[in-house]
Amino acid sequence: MIDPTHLPRRRAGRLLARALLIAGLLALANPAGAAHAEARTAPAGNATTPIDHFVFLMQENHTFDNYFGTRPGVDGIPAGTCMPVRRGQAEPCVKPFHLGELGSLDLDHTAEAFRVQYNNGRMDGFVEGVSTQGKDGKLAMAYYDDRDLPYYWNIADEYVLFDRFFSSSNSGSIRNHMFRVTGGPGATGASESIPANGWGDLPTIFDRLEAAGISWKFYVENYDPTITFRSRTSEEDIDRGAQVIWVPLLAYARYVDDPRLFGKIVDLDQYYDDAAKGQLPAVSFIAPAGDSEHPPGSIRAGQNLVRTLLTQLMRSPNWNSSAFLWSYDDWGGWYDHVAPPQVDRYGYGFRVPALLVSPYARRGYVDSTTLDFTSALKFIEVNWRLKPLADRDRKAKTFLDAFDFDRPPRPAVFLSTERTPAVVQRPNPVPVYASYAVTGSFVAALVGVAALRRRRWT
Amino acid sequence: MSVTRSPVEEMEHDRRGTMVVLHPVDTSVLHPTSRPGDAGQERGWRRWATPAALLAVAALALALRVWRLDALGFNSDEAVYAGQAASLAGNPNYAPFFPVFRAHPMLFQTLLSPFFRAGEVDVAGRVVVAALGVATVLAVHLLGARLYSRRVGLLAALFMAVMPYHVIVTRQVLLDGPMVLFATLTLYCLVRFVQGQQVIWYVATGAMLGVTMLTKETSIVLAGGVYAFLALTPMVRRPVRMSLLAVAAMAAVFLTHPVSQALAGRSQTGKSYLVWQLFRRPNHSMGFYLETVPPALGLLVVAAAVGGLWWLRRHRSWRETLLLSWIAAPVVFFQLWPVKGFQYLLPAAAPVAMLAARALIGMPVPDRIRRLLHRAHGSPGTDRSGVVRAAVIAVVALSLLAPSWNAVNRADNSTFLAGSGGVPGGREAGRWLAANTPEGSVVLTLGPSMANIIQYYGHRRSYGLSVSPNPLRRNPSYEPLPNPDWWLRHNDLQYVVWDSFSAGRSAFFSERLMVLIRRYHGRVVHTEYVDGADSTGARVPVPVIIIYEVRP
Repeated sequence: MIDPTHLPRRRAGRLLARALLIAGLLALANPAGAAHAEARTAPAGNATTPIDHFVFLMQENHTFDNYFGTRPGVDGIPAGTCMPVRRGQAEPCVKPFHLGELGSLDLDHTAEAFRVQYNNGRMDGFVEGVSTQGKDGKLAMAYYDDRDLPYYWNIADEYVLFDRFFSSSNSGSIRNHMFRVTGGPGATGASESIPANGWGDLPTIFDRLEAAGISWKFYVENYDPTITFRSRTSEEDIDRGAQVIWVPLLAYARYVDDPRLFGKIVDLDQYYDDAAKGQLPAVSFIAPAGDSEHPPGSIRAGQNLVRTLLTQLMRSPNWNSSAFLWSYDDWGGWYDHVAPPQVDRYGYGFRVPALLVSPYARRGYVDSTTLDFTSALKFIEVNWRLKPLADRDRKAKTFLDAFDFDRPPRPAVFLSTERTPAVVQRPNPVPVYASYAVTGSFVAALVGVAALRRRRWT
Repeated sequence: MSVTRSPVEEMEHDRRGTMVVLHPVDTSVLHPTSRPGDAGQERGWRRWATPAALLAVAALALALRVWRLDALGFNSDEAVYAGQAASLAGNPNYAPFFPVFRAHPMLFQTLLSPFFRAGEVDVAGRVVVAALGVATVLAVHLLGARLYSRRVGLLAALFMAVMPYHVIVTRQVLLDGPMVLFATLTLYCLVRFVQGQQVIWYVATGAMLGVTMLTKETSIVLAGGVYAFLALTPMVRRPVRMSLLAVAAMAAVFLTHPVSQALAGRSQTGKSYLVWQLFRRPNHSMGFYLETVPPALGLLVVAAAVGGLWWLRRHRSWRETLLLSWIAAPVVFFQLWPVKGFQYLLPAAAPVAMLAARALIGMPVPDRIRRLLHRAHGSPGTDRSGVVRAAVIAVVALSLLAPSWNAVNRADNSTFLAGSGGVPGGREAGRWLAANTPEGSVVLTLGPSMANIIQYYGHRRSYGLSVSPNPLRRNPSYEPLPNPDWWLRHNDLQYVVWDSFSAGRSAFFSERLMVLIRRYHGRVVHTEYVDGADSTGARVPVPVIIIYEVRP
């Protein structure tokens, strides 16, 4: 009887050679499969910077001036601004005003609204662009400040605020979200909708990551995996239809139909678990749901979401090698005073708020580099040596200057939701020390005199 | 049954007129007759015997008070007093968490503050208290020697040195240890007044009582002890003017507290503290002191003190009236007071030790035992009563030393009585939070005690779940969290700390905390254990503090 554990060496060698030969032939026949096999095993820690975990959250519908226009030290609302009610007519006009608790509306933010508001670079149609849609155009001139956004303003004090960060498309959500993942507008021509058959073969940044074996996940708040481009087409009006817009991968047949890829689109709860365990992927995209700050939604709820995400990241073992960027998918109809450069027929759109939090982020730094959503793609491509997806991301600048990699990572700090935290008033200690010292001396002297008198008398 | 005469019996009062004079103790009883040839040598030896014995007692007291002093971190009260001292000293680690002025006067905290100027300090504060504890032992000797005799003083000092009650409390940064030192000095001043009838000692008594109150204002109850003594001892002359002068001195000294607060920028925190203490719900049963204090004083010491009052009843004097008044005042007051604390009756420790020492020095030895000793040693002419007393004293002292030694070596106790020592795992949990959680983290604990410890060692803002938002039902110096659920939902609380000590006191809040932990995705990130035993007696780690990470 032959003991299988004691095969002759020559026979074992032959078997090994044959196995290697078959594997090599399979790899030649199916390079994508080989790449996938590598993707499952390759470590993600081959970044060109200390950033091993990049998180990109996209909120909704605000401009830079709408959130930070009154902040000192940034390119904010110019003094004396007064927006004409009608384009080309200086009077009457609407001055920027604090919105505060007045309540907001979902202002028109279509390509047509952009055209009117942009007015060929004259930037004088913000009121008219909204009022032509039957809404109160004055609302476009409203702004929030640190009374309403204390946490974001505190973040800007400690980390990086971008004041020339443009939305990629001069239209609404669909194109901007497509720029976010593909570097292109997705729907070309006049149409701005998701094709009935999905986005087809348009390459995404996740294809690049897959091919390079870099880990990624798309975290979705209140994720409903049954809502995809297929179900949305038939149920256009369902409440959660925006999920497919904000998560463009759900409009790709290859992502929806491949269980492995589909499994990387997960609920936001998974983000908290992954971060807690130090298992965040190299690239994380996050899409919100009800906390998106999309008017008339609560901006406080949005702040709370961002704060919760950052809290979990800051207490994660991944913190020291992470960067968290968040921005807003379009301008939402709000006023912004900077005319966006038109780099192609699709954009840029107006400036949007964007902030970067990282242990390597410069403290209180205002980055004025001209950026857009494809700058995030550029960062991923530079950081993990990936090929560009399209012309936009190839030409885009990125935000490497916002980091200071010469310094060690900063420890995490949970910032306050109060703009001016209560200052600890330390009482003056001198009267305390002095009064107790005087009293102590008095009593000691009294006892001493009593003892001495007694002694003398005896 | 006949008894031998004790040295105490040699002390007599001169009751002529209203004056009370302490006669010198008969040295023939205190110091047995020496052989003529050894007189010079023995005089030299005896000259150093008392100081040497006192030094030994002080060394023993110090050893018991500093042995493994660092084994456990601060308990809640220690954290508060140390935090106040650190804030007063301007230590940036503590100023945001501990206001300088809270509920009590600041004498002790002011004394501590130079040690708390920078960094995390705990042992230094305890060493200061231990030193004050040893000073109390020496003060007890002084008092005993003046009241009765050097032997009584020395023995009382020995009892104080090894008494578990005093040892345990003077190993903690609590107000009670220093307070007892000043209370003992007040008693000493009063004795000097009674013995000499000099106004200045009466005034000094008032001033020293003021200092005692500056350490802890509840010691004003000792004024009741002074009053009771004077009322029961009409032979002590006490003109109204003298009494007013003494009271004025006491008030003037105590005024340091409000005046210093006013000059430094008064805090509003302590204003309603007394009112709250008066009307709060009792925190312990009426039998609390009876269950906890006699064992801590030493059952044999208490028995000796009580026995001495019986067997030396014919020699009862103003001294016993004074000591009993001093004991009765805090006992009666705190028994009626709704808030009970293990350490609150500590002022009674010194007079109890004194009475016990007096009793044992003057203990009668039955003739039968003396005859037995004579037969055993075959020297009928020699009085062996001293041997019997020494043996009894040794037994009593050892009965104190053994539990004290156990107490100072018990570092992993999973049950905890407030005021009886540090909290196992509290310091370590706080340090873990400081090292492993981002600055600015906010912590929810089960009760305010753990919140104080976390704030002291963790430098993280902490709130106790059990602190009532109703101002009528909470300690005014505690900050309530009106709606912890709202705070958690808005990510204003990032960590929750459960501890077995607080859970043992309130199952309701423990369950409520666990509900919040489950609701907000609680994840265990750290656990502190102590050694325990399972049903088979095998040693097992028992979790006492669990830290959860929570999120909305």
